[in-house]
Amino acid sequence: MRKLTTMIATAALLASTALVSAADTKVGILMDITGPIANFIPPIQNAANLAVKQVNAQGGLLDGSAIAVYGDTTGTSQGAVDAAQKLVNIENVPFVMGALMSGTTIAAAEAVFIPAGVVQLSPTATSPAMTDLKDNDLVYRIVPSDNYQGEILAKMVLAEGIKKVAVTFVNNDYGVGIGNTFIDAYKAAGGEVVAQAKHEEKKDSYRSELASLTKGGAEALVVVAYAGDSGGKIVKQAAEGGLFSRFIGTDGLRDDLLIKNVGAEILKTSFFSSPTSPGDNPAQGILHKAFNAEYGGGADKAFVDQTYDATFLTMLAIEKVGSADRSKMAIALRDVATAPGIKVGPGEWKKAKALLSEGKDIDYDGAGGAYEFDANGDVSGFIGKFVVDGDSYKQTEIVE
Amino acid sequence: MELTGLFFYLVSILIAGGIYSLLCLGLNIQWGMGGVFNAGIAGFFATGAYASAILTTSTSAKHIGGFDLPVLAGLLGAGIISGCVGWAVAKICIRLKSDYLAMASIGIAEILRLVIVNESWLTNGSLGLSGVPRPFAGLASGRTADIVFLVFIWVIVIAVFFFSQRLYDSPWGRSLRAIRDNEQSASAAGKDVEKFRIQTFAIGCAIMGIAGGLSAHYFRFLSPSATDPLLVTFLVWVMLIAGGSGNNRGAIVGALSIWFLWSVTEIFTNRLPPEWITRSSFVRMLLVGLLLQYVLQRFRAGIIPEKAPKLRYSEEE
Repeated sequence: MRKLTTMIATAALLASTALVSAADTKVGILMDITGPIANFIPPIQNAANLAVKQVNAQGGLLDGSAIAVYGDTTGTSQGAVDAAQKLVNIENVPFVMGALMSGTTIAAAEAVFIPAGVVQLSPTATSPAMTDLKDNDLVYRIVPSDNYQGEILAKMVLAEGIKKVAVTFVNNDYGVGIGNTFIDAYKAAGGEVVAQAKHEEKKDSYRSELASLTKGGAEALVVVAYAGDSGGKIVKQAAEGGLFSRFIGTDGLRDDLLIKNVGAEILKTSFFSSPTSPGDNPAQGILHKAFNAEYGGGADKAFVDQTYDATFLTMLAIEKVGSADRSKMAIALRDVATAPGIKVGPGEWKKAKALLSEGKDIDYDGAGGAYEFDANGDVSGFIGKFVVDGDSYKQTEIVE
Repeated sequence: MELTGLFFYLVSILIAGGIYSLLCLGLNIQWGMGGVFNAGIAGFFATGAYASAILTTSTSAKHIGGFDLPVLAGLLGAGIISGCVGWAVAKICIRLKSDYLAMASIGIAEILRLVIVNESWLTNGSLGLSGVPRPFAGLASGRTADIVFLVFIWVIVIAVFFFSQRLYDSPWGRSLRAIRDNEQSASAAGKDVEKFRIQTFAIGCAIMGIAGGLSAHYFRFLSPSATDPLLVTFLVWVMLIAGGSGNNRGAIVGALSIWFLWSVTEIFTNRLPPEWITRSSFVRMLLVGLLLQYVLQRFRAGIIPEKAPKLRYSEEE
C-alpha cells in the first residue's frame, strides 16, 4: 500500500509537467541558492520573481505565461554543472539568467551552456576570466568586469598628476582582480608602482605591510579593500603613523564608516572610484517602488537591480525571437539591450510587447544601467570619482 | 521533456557518477580495505584537479605553467602528485588512531584548500584556471563531445575497478584486511602495519587525484568552488557506506545511485506549486537528507555488502 501511494505521488509530480500549458514558456534561472552566498539570495530571488510576475500581469510571454524554473548551483562547480544540465536538457529552457558567483557561472558556461548553444546572462559575475571565454557569443553579463574599475582608477590617478604610488589589496577575487588590473594599467600608462603588498582580511595590525609599502617614496597609497575590515584599518594605521598622507580607494573603501573611523580631515586629499548610475536614474526609483510595494522593503539590497534587469532582458529577448529558438537568442538579446531603439524601462512590459509585435526596435535601460554590450558580452558601466564631503561623499565626475 | 534532452541529462549524470565512482573506489581502498579513515578527500581531489589543469593548459601569465601537455599526461601527473602528497601526509599522521586520523585529515584538506586559494602564483587563487582542455576534443563538438568524455571516463573507471579487484584479492589486500580487522594479530603475524597503511593511503589518494583531474577536464574551468567538502568529502562517504564499504562493485553502485538521488530531486522540487518556488531549493536539501537517512538506515551494510573472496589453496599441497 505504501509503495502504491509513493508511486502515485511520484507519477502525479512527474505528470504535473503536463499541466504547464503548451503555450507557456519556461525561463531558466540559475542561482547559488544554498551554499556560501545563501544570505544574499532572498531579495535577489524576489527580484527575479517580480520581473516574471510583472510580465505575466501585463500580457504574458509569447502566447502564454512565463514560468520561472530555478536551478540551484549549491555554490559549487559540481552543483552548477548538474543544475545547468537539468535546465538545458530536462526543462528545455531557451535562455538562462545566472549564475551569481563567478566560479559557478563559468563552470556552468564551459561545461554545459556553450556546448549546448544556450545563451546565459549573469547579473553579478565580475571575474575578468569571463571576458576571454571562447563562448560563441553565448555568455553575457550586465555588471562590469573587475578589470574595468581597475583600468578607470589608473586613469583617474594619472589625471590627478600622481606618478608614483604604493598599492595594497585584499587577498580575494575582488581585491586581486582590481588590484592587478590597476597595477598593469597604471604601469602601461607611464605610472610607477614603487611598492605593492597583498594582505589578508581580519587582522588587527597591518603595520608590517605598511612598513614595506612606505619604501620607495610613493605619493599616495592605493587601497583595494573594504572599509569595514582591512581597508579601514590600513588607512587608519597609515595615518596614525604618518606613513602616507594621501589615500586612493575603490568602492569597497568608499563607505561612510571610513570617514567616521578616520576623520574627514585626513581624507581631504583622497578620492575614490565606484560604479555609479548615469546621473539620477529614474528607472531605479520605479523598480524600487514596485519592489517595496510587493515585498514590503529590501529594494536597496545588493544586486536586486541587476537581477531584475537580467530577468527582464531574458524575457524581452525571448519575446523578440517570438519562439523558444535557442539559436536566435544572442542576437535578440543584443537587439533589445542596446541602442538604438525606443527606450523601455523596468515594469514596461506591455509597452515593450506592443512595440516588439509591431516589429519596432527597442532598447531596455534598466535600474542598474543602460547595458550596452561590447563584443565580449561585457558592459562598461559608469565609474564615478568621489571625494569626501562632510560625513559622506560627493561625486565629482563620471568616467565611462 | 524531449528524448534527446533526457539522453544528454543521463550522459551528464553518468559523467558525474563516473567521477564519484573513482572517488569511492579510492576511498574503498583506504577505508573499505585498509580501515584508514580519510575525511580529507576534498584536499586530494583538489590537488589532482589543479595538477592536471596546470599540466594541460596552455601557458598563462596568471599562474604557474601551463605546460600544454596531453590530457593523459595531466591525469598521470594528477595521480602521481596526489599520491605523493598522500604518502607524505600518511608518513606523518598514519600512526594516529582512526578518529584522530579523521580529524588530522580534515585539517590537511583545509591546509591544501588554503594553499590553493592563497598561492595565486601557483593556482591563480580564487579567480581560477580557465581553458582546461578535454581529451579527444577533436572528435566531436557541442553536446556530443560529452559522449566522448563519458566513454573516456568510464574506460578509466573500469580500469581502476579491475585494478582494485586485483588488489583486494592479492596477498597485499589480504594482509590489509587482516590489519583492518585486527591490528595486533596482523602485527604479531609479522606484517609491518604502518607500511601497509601508508601504502593504502597513498594509492587511494592517487585515485582521488585522478578523479579530481577528470573533473577539471569536464568543467573546462577550475576554481576553488569545485572543491567544496560537502560535495566532495561527505557525499563520497555517504556513497561508499550506502553502496557497501569493502566492496568495489558496491562503491560504484553507491556512487551512481546516490548521485542520481542528489540530482533528480531537483526535478521534483521544481514541480512544486509557485508559492513554494523560493523555498524549493531548501526543500530539496531536506529531501536529499531524508533520502540519505533512509538509504543508510535501510541498507546498513550497504546495497552490495562486502563478501570475502573464496580461499584458494595452491595445488602442490
